[in-house]
Amino acid sequence: MRRARRGDERAFAELVRMHQEIAYRIAYLISGDEGEDAVQDGVLKAWRALGRFRPGAPFRPWLLRIVANEARNRRRSSGRRAALALRAEREDVSGGAAPSPEAAVLAADERERLLSALEGLPDDARLVLACRYLLELSETETAAALGVRRGTVKSRASRALERLRESYD
Amino acid sequence: MTEREHLERDLRSLGPTVAWPPTPDVASRLELSPRRRRALVAAVALAVVALAAAFAVPQSRSAILRFFHLRGVSVERVGTLPRAQELPLAAGLGSPVDDAGALSVLGGPFLPAVHGTLYGRDGIVSTLLRGPVLLSEFGAPEFLKKFVTSNVEWVDVAPGVQGLWISGAPHVVFFFPGASPRLAGNVLVWATDTRTFRLEGRDLGRNDALRLAREIMGTSKG
Repeated sequence: MRRARRGDERAFAELVRMHQEIAYRIAYLISGDEGEDAVQDGVLKAWRALGRFRPGAPFRPWLLRIVANEARNRRRSSGRRAALALRAEREDVSGGAAPSPEAAVLAADERERLLSALEGLPDDARLVLACRYLLELSETETAAALGVRRGTVKSRASRALERLRESYD
Repeated sequence: MTEREHLERDLRSLGPTVAWPPTPDVASRLELSPRRRRALVAAVALAVVALAAAFAVPQSRSAILRFFHLRGVSVERVGTLPRAQELPLAAGLGSPVDDAGALSVLGGPFLPAVHGTLYGRDGIVSTLLRGPVLLSEFGAPEFLKKFVTSNVEWVDVAPGVQGLWISGAPHVVFFFPGASPRLAGNVLVWATDTRTFRLEGRDLGRNDALRLAREIMGTSKG
């Protein structure tokens, strides 16, 4: 991080490489097909803004906040709600090996049904649940990505779970 | 385990089974040649969201080597240029406008204060300088899209004011939203907080372009 802040692009690229998958997935959740451009421009803006990064603060929520902001701007300018194309894979995600205990909890058709219910939620609810449970972000990271306070993440997630339960049952 | 806890567990178990699109390797795009890296840093300095939809181009240009922005200007490096016409510099600049008209479009006076006939169209005000060199100014941030195979270089126009110098082979510019693309000669683009400037001339050299730009910016200080 220190090297990156001193202007070392390679050090910054290494940091980005560690977090680009999660950053892209958030951008994709928010802005759909615009996600790739959003994550690229967000990363470039983060590079430019490194001078304002508070030393000692965690890098990941900071990067996620910038990328998610970029994704929201792109969605606003495109005027479209992101058309998500999430699909639960029918095949075994572990590539032929025994499924992990977590993946085995739900049968394939149940996964499809749960994902469909999640997709049917209003955007705020869908995003908070996707961040917290699909991407397994912490409350702090979710708050950064959604541009809200941690307390809002808690209450929003709680309400979203209730709505999901109603539509999933 | 409560019903809510069951649901949380099910959602977590869903995570690994979601088919996400492949993650683009944006980190590797940062690790480019020194020139390209500098251009990217330059782009970030004044990054804006490009109004790509207004300049829709065929998806068949598969060899896009990524892009960078400088306020109102979006520059994409491509393997092959899109088809474009060669037109005179003065073609399609719009109707003559007076200083008041330019001010209302740009949000401030056209620079330099002493200038020839101004032409306005779709938020861009232009004039022809000796050379001929085309000077265009626009206040709104999203207007210009360029496709280049030529050289792009990061230049310091004035303290704190950065620009891109595009030279060599002609490049293609979408000058107005919805307008036909045309071939452009050497170009210097630079931007302040409120305005983007563009100088274009087939025979325009880098040093002359920078000198002209500084004169224009000098006028702005006065």
